[in-house]
This record gives sequence, C-alpha cells and structure tokens, in this order.
Amino acid sequence: MDRWFLIAATLLAAAGGIWGMISVHHGKRSPWTLAWMFGVFLCQIGFLGVRGQLRAACPLMDHGEILTFLAWSLTLFYLLIGPAYRISLLGVFTAPLVVLFQALALTPGTLTANPARLVGSNPWHETHSATSVLAYGALALAAVAGVMFLVLDRQLKEQHLKSGLFRNLPPVRELLISLERLLWLGSGLLTVGISAGLLMPRTAAAWGHLIAAMAVWFAYALLLGIKQVRGVTGRRLSLSAVILFLLSLAVFAFI
Amino acid sequence: MELICLGLNHRTAPVEVRERFAVGTTLLGKAANELIALAEATEGVVISTCNRTEFYLAATDAEASFGLIEKRLAEKIQVDSSVSAHFYRKAKTAAAQHLCRVVSGLDSMMIGETEIFGQVKQAYQSALEAGSTGAVLNRVFQRAFSIGKKVRTETSIQEGATSVGNVAVDLAEKIFGHLKNSEVMILGAGEMSRTTAQSLVSRGAKSIFVANRSFDRAEELATEMNGTAVRFDDWQKVLQRVDVVISSTGAPHAIVHRQDVEQARRARKYRPLFFIDIAVPRDVDPAVGEIEEVYLYDIDTLEQLAEEARTRRQLQIEQCERIIDLELEKLNLPGT
Repeated sequence: MDRWFLIAATLLAAAGGIWGMISVHHGKRSPWTLAWMFGVFLCQIGFLGVRGQLRAACPLMDHGEILTFLAWSLTLFYLLIGPAYRISLLGVFTAPLVVLFQALALTPGTLTANPARLVGSNPWHETHSATSVLAYGALALAAVAGVMFLVLDRQLKEQHLKSGLFRNLPPVRELLISLERLLWLGSGLLTVGISAGLLMPRTAAAWGHLIAAMAVWFAYALLLGIKQVRGVTGRRLSLSAVILFLLSLAVFAFI
Repeated sequence: MELICLGLNHRTAPVEVRERFAVGTTLLGKAANELIALAEATEGVVISTCNRTEFYLAATDAEASFGLIEKRLAEKIQVDSSVSAHFYRKAKTAAAQHLCRVVSGLDSMMIGETEIFGQVKQAYQSALEAGSTGAVLNRVFQRAFSIGKKVRTETSIQEGATSVGNVAVDLAEKIFGHLKNSEVMILGAGEMSRTTAQSLVSRGAKSIFVANRSFDRAEELATEMNGTAVRFDDWQKVLQRVDVVISSTGAPHAIVHRQDVEQARRARKYRPLFFIDIAVPRDVDPAVGEIEEVYLYDIDTLEQLAEEARTRRQLQIEQCERIIDLELEKLNLPGT
C-alpha cells in the first residue's frame, strides 16, 4: 500500500512537471501546477502515514523514507511559498527534484519492504530527524530558486528574451528574496535539528553524521553572514545555494 | 434597420482634419443624440480619440444616411464638402467587422494597443446613458467588446513592448518586479531619457535623480518629474543607491566606465543594477555589462526588441481577423 502512494506521488509530480514545462514552452503559465503538487503532497502524506503506523514512529529509518520525507518537505515548502509569492513556476522546477528523490526511494533495496516497529524511540532523536529533513526541504527549494535565478540571469545577460520560459520566470529581485528567506528558514531548522542531535543519545558512529551536519550548518551560516554583512551577487548566492545543497546531501551517507 | 459606420482616422485624414471632428469625452453622449437628429436615425454612438472619430448608427437606409450625415456634418462644422474624401463608409457586416477591429486594436496606429478598448467602452457608455442606443447598437457593441476580449486573450496581439521606453520598463520589471521600491537616475536630460524615465515613473518608480552637465536643465527636469537634481560631478555617489540608470548624454565618448561601477559595488552590496544606454555614441562602456550584477542594454538592443514585438503583432493580424469573422458569423447580429 505504502509503495502505491509513493508511485502515485511520483507519477503525479512527473505529470505536473511535464504539463508545466509544455505550458511554459508555449509561453503560458499552467494554472494547474499548484493542483498537481497538492495531489503529490496528499500521496506523500499517505505514504508517510502508512510507514509511520508501521514504524510507530516518525518514518525516517531507512534511505527510502528519508528521501520521501525530503521530497514531502520540498513539496510542503513549495506549497507554502509558491502561491504566496506567486511563483507558480517554482513548482515546474520543483517537480523534477521531487521525482528524482522519490524515484531513488523506489529503487529496489532503498525502501525496507517490511519496516520493523521501533521500540522505545527517543524524542530528541525524532526531533533531530524531522527538523533536519524539513531543513533540507527548505534548502532544496532554495537551490531550486537558485537554478531559476541562474537561468533568468543568463537570459538577461545574453539578451535572449523571447522564450516562454523567460516570460514566465519571476523577477530577479523576487527570486533572490525568496532564495534568501528559504536559506534563513532552512538554516534555522537545521540549527534546531543539530541541537536536538547533540542532546540525543548516540553511538560513536553517529559522530561522523553529526560533524558532517555541523559542517553543512557552518557553510550555510557563513554564506548568510557574508550576504548580510558584505553583500553578495545574485549569481554567487544562487550558485552557492545549489552547490551547498548538493554537497550537503553527503550528510545522509553517514546515516 | 441597418448598422452603419462613418469615420475618419490617422490613415485617412491629417490631424488638421481630425481635430475638426474631435469630440471631448464629456460631450460624447450629447454628440450621439445630435448625430441621431442629423442623420434621421434611430440609434447612434460617437467614438472620438486622438486618432479617430467614428459615428455608428442604426438607420433604415444606409446609403441615404451616409449622404445625409456627411452633408449635415460639413454644414455644422463649417468645412467644405471635400472633407468627404477623408471619410470611410461601412455598412452592415463590414461596419460590425470594423468595430471589432477597432476594439481589438487592429485598426490602431500601434497595433494591439489596449487603450482603445477603454475609449470605445467609454463612448458606448456615454451614448447608453444619454439614451441614444437601442436594440441594434446595444447588441453590436456588447458583442464587439466580448469579441475584442477574445481576440486579445487568444492571440498575442498585445504581447511585447513596441517602443523603446516600454521595452526598458518591461525589462526593469523583469529585474526588479514592482518598481515601487526602485530608484532611477537619469544621466543627461534629453528627450529620450525623459520619456523613458516617465514610463518608469508611471509604473511606480520610487524616486528619480537627474544629473546633467547643465544643472539648470537638470533642475527643470527634476521638478517636472518630482525628482531630485544632482550635480553632474556627483553621479557616481548617487550610483550607490539607485537600481536603474538611464543614460542619454550628448557626450562624444563613454562617461560610465567599469571602474565607476566597480567602486560603487561594495556600497551597493552587489544588488542588481540595470543600465539603459540610449545615447549615440554610447555613454556606457560595454565592459560595464561584464560585471556580474549589471544588466546593460543599449539603444540598438532596445530598438531591436521593440521592432520584433511590432513584427510579431503584425503577424497576428490575420489570426485576429479570422476570430472576428468566425464570431460574427455565429452571432447573426441585428443590422448586419
């Protein structure tokens, strides 16, 4: 049952992404992106709900669950931010990443077939897992906004202004504002996640994961500090958001 | 009852003729009633803009009405009968087609412009309130408005900016979104920079700074635009705070160099900066455009973008006319 929810979410995200891209190619903005992504969100909740019941805990025990939780978090932040800032195109850019995460989760061996019921879970551990993955959702969406900025910046610089994509991309300043806010949100959640991680009982092997997470946190804090104090160009901020997110995924290798 | 249209526009009559037939916005309803009396018709609407004056009537005999209105209008306005050569006459379906073309912006000087839609609507509203419309013109005008909307939404007849000023404004909005938080500096108080800056102000630009070699001229333009005049030697200082720079000096060489912008970057915290260089020879060294957060557009690029938009609109005309014909065929309007 859980897998069917995940398959449905992946298919909906793929369809929404393709539909959105076709619309953009024709110079229009699809009004349905939000609806597609809301459908994805509901299916993800279905998946996480079933897995949560089986685990009797927050379903973040294997790589498949972590990837799906990450995709859910990414979708959640898109649904919160996309309509508020009228950046429906963010959904078109978010959908492929959601498809990628969920397709990886569906790869044989990634998702435990018969998840074991967790006995005696620790609240700090659950707080650490949940807020960290939520943070990654926000940081992933920041990376998506960064990619959108880089595309728009290139088009403006090279004066390629005829494509449907150019017409539908949000303004430079709005993208940069959204990107910065998402970085602050992601870093804030990561701070909570790491603090909870320091308070939870852990094995010696968990230190590698925690140190990697702290390195990620420090890198994002440094980026935001530089942005705040000295300022940074939109291109460098966007590139940093994309590169840092890709590098930060390495944290999961230590789980 | 037949629908007829008698009119003159920018293509058929020079401005000295058009101005004789122009009717003020507040007098459109009264003029419609006078028109009914002149043409011995039952319904009438008068449309008057800077580029056209058109009389729409519901009359029993189109041919007789045309002759009657032309003769009596010439008498009333005191022009000789040669003015008839400037009029176009359209009856029944041709008149309805023409109205739809006008409403859709296909008959405008700037194809696809949106202002005409509101102007025709206002003319019809005035006639309606003056009681000069009836079953024929009410239906024809209401259908023309819905066809006009359909044409504008289903084609790209109004897409893209068709003047240098509007292209610059569209680009500024693509970079900064709403311009209400954007500050603009004008270098050189020429006509082109004034027009472009006015376009930015009309879209909400927060404040304007004007720097000109002649400070008096800078003050004059700044007062006109509710902005601030700046000594020409101080423009680099103002660069630290503005988002858009419009440059149009008559200098024979570049006046904005890469170094000038590099010096301001830190103070600007590397925020995006949009240069609109409409001067020939160019005022802004092309090397300025290589700076990461700078978007530099010169007059050739802006002109080319405007020309492309105009061409795209021209190519849409046929599709728009097809929509108009199809819709009119479906409707079976009275008087056509």
